[in-house]
Amino acid sequence: MNLCGYYPESINEGEGLRASVFISGCKHYCKGCFSARTWNFNHGEPFDDKRQREIIREMAENPLLDGLTLAGGDPFFSAAEASSFIDLARESIPGLNVWMYTGYTFEQLAARPESDEYGLLRRGHVLVDGRFEQELRDVSLLYRGSSNQRLIRIPESLERGEVVLWEREKVFM
Amino acid sequence: MSTTLPLFPAARSKEIDALEEITKLGRDIADSLDTETLRENANLNGDSFSGKISKFGSEYAKWYARLHILPREVEAAIRGNTVYVHDLDHYAVGTTNCIFIPFDKLLAEGFSTGNGDLRTPRTIMTAMALVAIIFQCQQNAQYGGVSANKIDHDLAPYVGRSFIKHFRKGLSYFESFKEGDEILAGSATPEGPADEEIYMDNTDLRDRYPHAYRYAYQETRQETFQAAESLVHNLNTMSSRGGGQIPFTSINYGTCTSSEGRLVMESLMESTMRGLGQGQTPIFPIQIFKCKKGINQSIGEPNYDLFLKAIECSTKRLYPNFANLDAPINMEYYVPGDPNTEFATMGCRTRVVADRFGRNHLSGKGNLSFNTINLVKLGIENGIVLGERKRADEEGFYEMLDEALDIAMTGLLHRYRIQAKQPAKASDFMMREGVWEGGDALGPDDKVEDLLKHGSLSIGFIGIAESMKAMYGKHHAENEDVYAKALAVVRHMRAYCDAMSEKHNLNITLFATPAEGLSGKFTKNDAKEYGCIPGVTDREYYTNSFHVPVYFQTSAARKISLEAPFHEVCNAGAISYIELDGNVRSNPEAFRKIVAYALDQNVSYFSINHPIDRCTSCGHEGIIGESCPSCGKKETEVHISRLRRVTGYLTGDYQTRFNGAKQAEVRDRVKHAGQAAPRQ
Repeated sequence: MNLCGYYPESINEGEGLRASVFISGCKHYCKGCFSARTWNFNHGEPFDDKRQREIIREMAENPLLDGLTLAGGDPFFSAAEASSFIDLARESIPGLNVWMYTGYTFEQLAARPESDEYGLLRRGHVLVDGRFEQELRDVSLLYRGSSNQRLIRIPESLERGEVVLWEREKVFM
Repeated sequence: MSTTLPLFPAARSKEIDALEEITKLGRDIADSLDTETLRENANLNGDSFSGKISKFGSEYAKWYARLHILPREVEAAIRGNTVYVHDLDHYAVGTTNCIFIPFDKLLAEGFSTGNGDLRTPRTIMTAMALVAIIFQCQQNAQYGGVSANKIDHDLAPYVGRSFIKHFRKGLSYFESFKEGDEILAGSATPEGPADEEIYMDNTDLRDRYPHAYRYAYQETRQETFQAAESLVHNLNTMSSRGGGQIPFTSINYGTCTSSEGRLVMESLMESTMRGLGQGQTPIFPIQIFKCKKGINQSIGEPNYDLFLKAIECSTKRLYPNFANLDAPINMEYYVPGDPNTEFATMGCRTRVVADRFGRNHLSGKGNLSFNTINLVKLGIENGIVLGERKRADEEGFYEMLDEALDIAMTGLLHRYRIQAKQPAKASDFMMREGVWEGGDALGPDDKVEDLLKHGSLSIGFIGIAESMKAMYGKHHAENEDVYAKALAVVRHMRAYCDAMSEKHNLNITLFATPAEGLSGKFTKNDAKEYGCIPGVTDREYYTNSFHVPVYFQTSAARKISLEAPFHEVCNAGAISYIELDGNVRSNPEAFRKIVAYALDQNVSYFSINHPIDRCTSCGHEGIIGESCPSCGKKETEVHISRLRRVTGYLTGDYQTRFNGAKQAEVRDRVKHAGQAAPRQ
């Protein structure tokens, strides 16, 4: 698994201040992708144990973080390894909140409970799903690029067997 | 034998030198040859006619002050690049710096602009119009900023007056009118409650006269919103000082819990969010939200909703900033229930609270002047950076620091004596109308000294980071020992200020200088003298006061906790910033969390910088790269306005209105949080 980007504190991939980790490799090949170079699984640096622990330590030391976001590429093409990373992180940061970006739909991922992809899915709190569709592009959308993409509460959705959308708590606006 | 020959050739040549200097000075301005001078101040359009005319005046006044007024050692220290005298153009005439305006008093008693008398306003619409006029008049009486330290409390009574007016109207329209009444009958004033009974929070009133109350409530809200909108517009459009500058206005609010006061705040923030014209971000007034536990910091507290609104407004418009009333340094003179003792700022950061002569409140006084010390030069002279020694010469550093402090102090006292002997009439509006507390009791020719003593004289500093780098090879964010040494240097300066306060019986305070117009000058001169030293003189600017350098990569939390302890020491004011990248308006929770953390760490005054780019073609605001993400137009086709903050003030387009050093500083800013990662 390779790492093609890491922002220790980001406000752009999910609610609050989050560490954003971009995993290399994607086979969705969406037209208009903002970072086609990250499709390559060899792009970036090896996301080995040492680098993972570095990032986890930084996260653990940061009192302001709301959680971790996995993006890419598409982390679901490296599902088993990405799951291990989350597990490792939760050893130091119990209850770590995780958001994930994917080009798959929630329904596709939820359909095969025995798969590695499902394993990764159930480790997350919120999923931003769906391919980027250029004709549905809308810059005003929250945390996503095209209007087909959804912000989904993973645990509630898996429990009910239907998509439950994430909504901001009505503190602001 | 010939009288045309000079008696003293040396003196004669001095005169010729002087003439040459002053001729060059004029030519540089008239022909726009020196853009650094013209752009020295981001708030002044130095390319305009009026900007140039005012430059002629100020450049000559500076030249004159250096040649004829300044004490020799101060002049030498300026030339030696160790001390900077701010607003030197106002030195010879004795102008003072900034002030907190007692708007409550001026509005209640009415005032005169010099050309006309104004009565106390009967409505919030008029009151807010007068606020703009007062700001403008006062701005002409000094060289620094003008601030309202409690605008919510000051304006609440006028919202109340509007409410009474609308309520009485409502009574006559709705409550007294009955079936069968003559519709066109004259306005028989209905019996109604006394004025004292008519206020928004009176629930009896609401229950007894629901129609009139509702009418008055809606009308008052609407009027207050309109009043706030026009105030914000006025403060961005009216000029002062011969037309060259927009007044440097600041308004502080946050603690008034009456419905009237809350409406003032809500309206100001809503107007700010709506913006000017087609939705531009207002540059003025600087807005400061005063954070106080028990009033606006947690769910259930009366103004918590307004704190959240302040967060929302700041994610969209960069203001308000956040003042921390709970920081120990700001609690010292705080009297619950007396808003005039609540910490507030002059916007850029200036803090004036304590007064050894008893006026331990804010309005009616201000800072008189400040001089800034170049800590970097002292670091270079005594550090390891030039390779002249293996260990930093701390003794030498402190010796030179004390010398610089003495010179800065000499300059402050000398200037104070010039200021103190001015007659009241010189500051015109400020003394005549009692904007400076007690000024209205003076005759036009009375000296102002006895009143000015309540103000503060401040010593500022710049470049702790580069100074430490020059001394020890690392700056204060890179090494714990160096951090301790940096804090010790600042504490030493504070102790000096405290000692001088006793010695001279004046309010001498330590200031974390905002480096407008200065950040490049010190650096340019030091680079000329010592060459380009990596991490010290290799940039076009020095780092602000005690700040962690903008180019140093660290987390938001760490930057805050490193800078927080310095706030307590700088009793003349300080600010900390965090740089955020990305469209923070869509993630206010992240913003709120960072603000809350800064307050919790006892940062006295805090703000978050984030880019606001605006496509002038479609009006889209957010982050704009080479092309507008909304309309797709490229920067080569359409102007993209890029709003940034410099030394506390916003400026419309940093590429055209910032001076070179400031532009470089903006380019180098490391975002502590929220790298602009693209989205999927």
